[in-house]
Amino acid sequence: MSSESEVVIRARHLSKAYRLYANEQQWMKQVLFGSWRTYYRSFWALKDISFEVRRGESVGILGRNGCGKSTLLQIVCGMLRPTGGEIWVNGRIAPVLALGGTFDAESTGRQNVLIGGAVLGLKRHEILARMESIADFASIGDFINQPVKLYSAGMRMRLAFAICAHIDPEILVVDEALAVGDAAFQRKCMDWIDNFRKRGTLLFVSHATGEVVRLCDHALWIDDGRVRARGDTADVARAYGKALRVEHDDMKRFSAV
Amino acid sequence: MPLLHIVDGKAVASGKRTILARLASFLANPFVSAWQHRDLIDAILRRELAERFQGSAAGWVWAITAPLLSLVVYTVAFSGGPVTLPGGGKSGSPFDYALFIFGGLIAFNLFTEMAYRAPSLLHEYAHFIKQTIFPADMLPIISTLRATFYATIGLVLMLIAQLVLTGTLHLTVLLLPLWFVPFVAFLIGLTWILSAAGAFTRDTAYLMMTVAPLLMFATPVFFSTDTFSPTLKLIFYVNILTGFIEILRYLVVFGQIPDLWVCLWVLFCSLATFYFGFWFFGKQRDSIADVI
Repeated sequence: MSSESEVVIRARHLSKAYRLYANEQQWMKQVLFGSWRTYYRSFWALKDISFEVRRGESVGILGRNGCGKSTLLQIVCGMLRPTGGEIWVNGRIAPVLALGGTFDAESTGRQNVLIGGAVLGLKRHEILARMESIADFASIGDFINQPVKLYSAGMRMRLAFAICAHIDPEILVVDEALAVGDAAFQRKCMDWIDNFRKRGTLLFVSHATGEVVRLCDHALWIDDGRVRARGDTADVARAYGKALRVEHDDMKRFSAV
Repeated sequence: MPLLHIVDGKAVASGKRTILARLASFLANPFVSAWQHRDLIDAILRRELAERFQGSAAGWVWAITAPLLSLVVYTVAFSGGPVTLPGGGKSGSPFDYALFIFGGLIAFNLFTEMAYRAPSLLHEYAHFIKQTIFPADMLPIISTLRATFYATIGLVLMLIAQLVLTGTLHLTVLLLPLWFVPFVAFLIGLTWILSAAGAFTRDTAYLMMTVAPLLMFATPVFFSTDTFSPTLKLIFYVNILTGFIEILRYLVVFGQIPDLWVCLWVLFCSLATFYFGFWFFGKQRDSIADVI
């Protein structure tokens, strides 16, 4: 289909282990005597993940809570370092993870746009030049000049997405960011992402199949730290939905008690 | 060149380099990295400076009131007439001893502020480190710069007080930047070490809270080491702060050039702390995101 040079993200046998300690003393012992004994249990959030994303592709990542989706994204963005395997990323990457969560509650919306923009790699004058456009996109009115602690969850999310929509990334990583917004704003974001797909590469993470089917050409289903299925979005989504219903039945069994 | 390439937990370096080239890039690294992230440093520093007095009506007045008040108190409390100065010997004015102590406290307070804050620094910014692509090693630089900013207010007040009270400013004051830059480098290095250690265990914070007040008595804030025996003096100089405080007093209060060996020792300590801190932080960096 495409040549090797167009690959922007390549993951080969990625694995990630977290060290779990029973208490602080165990941690201290590990630091002091770690060369002789291990004092922790390993938790493998990712066991074996391999995939490739080519320039211009939109890839959806599906999976239930705790399956390793977020860990995988954090590795792709470079926030976490994998324990084993290879990760290779080429291009300016912008994570729309929980950007709203990084907002400083005491600062105003505008101040947070300045910080958020700087965190995402924009120069001060670039942010200032786009400020009005960002405020316009978020359309939260005068609240842009108020401290973020007065915002509702939806307003935070609006502002966060508005910032991300203004940084021109090559690779956009969206992690369930749209869950909070109202239908109208979700549509606005979806339209924007739709537009973005014409220019850049998209990595879209969700546990809901609907958005993934709409936005992505390929999908990856991650279960318990491994790739359970991959390929055409519709096929993967169908298999995933089937598995979800089984779990749903389990829940019914419990609620009946 | 890829943005990110990691194999089995190790970043893949681009090409082989000689030891000398690697050393040069290690020495240049903190500065290159700070320059690359200058807009981020600028944005967060503005936030931090504004945040300190947010929600207070008087705002910036507090930043000046606190050091001014302590300066007034020292002047009243310690100016009982011309005293033999612990260091320079000659005392031109009754106010010199107050300035002597104030100078020592500026340096010491700057140190303790960093020592108290550093261990919890990365926890404060945990949401940035976990959820965005964030250069955590810039945080110690930012917080040190912020603390330095307030210390500078104290220093300027001290110079003004000296000019007003004694009527003169020594020419050696012009050498202050040569004291300031190594001191800030030392504090940044210290903050790198303490913040990385503090990310793993809260014990770092408790340790600093226990040690820092005691350190006040192992640091010549209220006295000078000049009257001590040579052995005791050497022991005092193991405490890096001693050198910094004495040099500050020599430059501002006594108007003399400090001892060359003291200067070299202080410079060595500050560079060693700076680069060790940077290396240590870099080494812990990948585990920090896991534990914070």
